[in-house]
Amino acid sequence: MKTEELISALAADTIPQQPVTRQLGQAMLLASAASGTVFALFWGARPDIWAALGSLAVLKTLVPLILMGLSVAFALALAHPGVRHARRGIALGALIALAALGFLAAFGREGVAGLASALNSPSLITCLVSIPVLAAPVLAAMFWGLSSGAALRPRLTGAAAGLAAGGIAAAIYSIYCDKDMALFVLPAYSAAIGSVMLAGALLGPRLLKW
Amino acid sequence: MRAANRGDTAAYHRLLMAITPVLRKVVRARGAALGPEGCEDVLQDVLLAIHGKRHTWHEDAPLRPWLYAIARHKVVDAFRARGRRIEMSIDDFAEGLVAAEGPDPTEGRDMEKVLGKLDPRAAEIVRAFGLNGETTAETAARLDMSEGAVRVALHRALKTIVRLRERMIE
Repeated sequence: MKTEELISALAADTIPQQPVTRQLGQAMLLASAASGTVFALFWGARPDIWAALGSLAVLKTLVPLILMGLSVAFALALAHPGVRHARRGIALGALIALAALGFLAAFGREGVAGLASALNSPSLITCLVSIPVLAAPVLAAMFWGLSSGAALRPRLTGAAAGLAAGGIAAAIYSIYCDKDMALFVLPAYSAAIGSVMLAGALLGPRLLKW
Repeated sequence: MRAANRGDTAAYHRLLMAITPVLRKVVRARGAALGPEGCEDVLQDVLLAIHGKRHTWHEDAPLRPWLYAIARHKVVDAFRARGRRIEMSIDDFAEGLVAAEGPDPTEGRDMEKVLGKLDPRAAEIVRAFGLNGETTAETAARLDMSEGAVRVALHRALKTIVRLRERMIE
């Protein structure tokens, strides 16, 4: 087939494509609802949830939600060639750096013994398993939405998708989790979200190819 | 492009015709080793990618950086995949020898193979627009389909073509 003929065929195809943002939004909404339902069925809220949400422990829910927002924005920019993504990447990096600083501050106050006693609880395993499980449907939705885009850096885009999925899963899980010490929450949640990010980075080059 | 995204076929056709010579030059400069036909295949890959990803361009952004990014990605991708394939396949070399008798330099080879794998009706529709320059209404009348059905069939066929070509160069 000649190139001119191909061009004629392409030009005749006038069916518009759905914007990536809308496709991603719909898929995310559906997947988050699915994760939320599974959570309500098998985990459920902690008994003192309203008191917790009124205290500093609300950060356990709020920070992952912000992480999710920033990661989605970053991933969307990466899926649209020509859109500047540096600023969104820096915002995301700043949030992660802030969390690391928070951990260092708490660690400096209580030391290795404090960290060991905080992490020495069955909640650690529950957290490390629950967040990736709750994140899985959201990660699938992120990939489905982003694959209609044009990611030039699939590994980075996949990692951002993993961060977004991990963020929303952590926010959901925090409703159940009754451990509020910074030395537990920061390392445990970070490790769980980090594992989802790693999965996203590994899957990205395969699933976001075009 | 703005008009194209709203369904203006003529404007979209003009745009694609205008950018094709530039893209062809870029592809040929990078891929002299592929021969003119191989280059034309890569160029057709780039055009299919531009078409398939046109919704990732924001209307208020400049078009050139977007086009350039899509083209560069596809060219790099295609040369990586094809470089490997050419090293392995003797058939390609033989075909190249036969074709050296004076092929049309804008004729791609991959497209024929892909169209052959498509279901006949879909291939027929793609050819109808390309080879015969038919309009939607003419194709619809000839194949006894509604215009909407022809549009959907063409849209799906082009998507399938992109998928098949990807599998082919892997």
